[in-house]
Amino acid sequence: MKRSSNFSSLRSVWAFRELLWALVLRNLKVKYQRSWLGFFWTLLNPVLTASVLIIVFTHVIRIPIENYWAFLISGYFAWNFMAQCLNAATYTVAEHAPLARSIAFPQEILIIATAFSRLIEFGIELLLVMLVLGSALHGGIPPSFALVPLLVILQLLLCLGLQMPVAVLSAFFKDVQHALPIAIATLFYMSPVFYSADFVPAWMYDAYLLNPIARVLTLYHDVLYRGEFPSLADLGVATGISLLTFYLGYAVFNRSKHLFAEVL
Amino acid sequence: MSAPAIHCADIVKRFRIYERRATSLHETFVRFLTGKRILLDQPYFALTDVNITVANGESVGLIGANGSGKSTILRVIAGIYPPSSGTVSLGGSIAAVLELGAGFHPDLSGSDNLYIYGTALGLSRAQIKSRLDEILEFADIGNFIETPVKYYSSGMVARLAFAVAVCIEPDILLLDEVLSVGDESFRDRCMARLIRFRDRGGTLLFVSHDLETVREFCTRAIWMEHGKIRMDAEVDEVIDAYLAHSQ
Repeated sequence: MKRSSNFSSLRSVWAFRELLWALVLRNLKVKYQRSWLGFFWTLLNPVLTASVLIIVFTHVIRIPIENYWAFLISGYFAWNFMAQCLNAATYTVAEHAPLARSIAFPQEILIIATAFSRLIEFGIELLLVMLVLGSALHGGIPPSFALVPLLVILQLLLCLGLQMPVAVLSAFFKDVQHALPIAIATLFYMSPVFYSADFVPAWMYDAYLLNPIARVLTLYHDVLYRGEFPSLADLGVATGISLLTFYLGYAVFNRSKHLFAEVL
Repeated sequence: MSAPAIHCADIVKRFRIYERRATSLHETFVRFLTGKRILLDQPYFALTDVNITVANGESVGLIGANGSGKSTILRVIAGIYPPSSGTVSLGGSIAAVLELGAGFHPDLSGSDNLYIYGTALGLSRAQIKSRLDEILEFADIGNFIETPVKYYSSGMVARLAFAVAVCIEPDILLLDEVLSVGDESFRDRCMARLIRFRDRGGTLLFVSHDLETVREFCTRAIWMEHGKIRMDAEVDEVIDAYLAHSQ
């Protein structure tokens, strides 16, 4: 049985880049066609949730973070991107099974396409967040914002590295569709979305940071909320984890992807 | 070119019956604990020791009863199913039309779907654009090209999918029961197009239950039965033997 390496698979993804682009466009078109308010709906959901969180944690349970609203929006959209991509990974391969059964193409393109189409939306959200934070919090655009593209790349690699094993498991086990929302809800509390990672007690901090999403969110807080450059060490570790997660996740996917056309 | 267009050597395709396989984590877990792992793998041999060599420019028909492995061997050759053992080597670019219109998204227009389908077959957008007129002419769906595919008739879907596959002009074309989908005029146009493909030196391997088409179009036929090749010879000889056997 032929199992392709990550490297040769990436080359074939590149060869099919036009398909990737066609699928990204497809995802966006399916989502937005015949919808008058279009992107507004995409934005409305996280904005509403973020507003509720801001109200609750500013006025009900008072979290001692200055300008809590700014703190929350600097990480919330990144979290939202992650959660939605993981969720999409449970059904993407099955959704395209008819195409995969009639044409041979590298199936990771399906996963990458969902992440990319979501990434376009996330990019717009981030621009809005930077505009709001720049004008209302920092009184200008802090130089640390220049790091945002790097953070997005790190997050994308991490996201793909988690999506691929989720997609593989989903192809074989229907349970994943049910289990994943629970896992995401749990991760929401285990990641610094509505609280700062500084609050985590020292004795469990190392364990806490085993969650790679926590690291990335902390970087967003540094760069967007505090307007500071994260330490090179933090950045280096996050880069290492993202690359490793992507590598391992992709390897898992490559081991099993030849079975998708048969199973689904 | 002396290398054959398609060369399948000792192809075995073993499926696991996934329907019977654990599809829930719970079942897998229970089976893991109780050690009943044998249940997990109920192999089914869809193909056993299949050897097919098709020379460049040859047109070969694959015939046989339902479930004899015809579609499976096409998928193995097309690279969709990896063989359990054995090797496939190809002497050129390949396109397979296995399920017409499969993978079309109902909410997207014909042209959007055409780009997804075409790029999945390995074309670039520029290549598709340059053949767009030809594809549209063949598909003959007129102004419907910007209409969502869900409003298409099944014939229109079939025409569009077939048009994309033949217009990309691969060296090797695999067809699975494609000609039986459309009406007479669609069939005639497909045949005309396939004859042009053959005359240009294209290699064709196609599955059909329509024995007359096979007789008319192919010089050679392969009769498959229970995942094996029962007969591989000159077309009339194979079809006569097949008919005699079926009666």
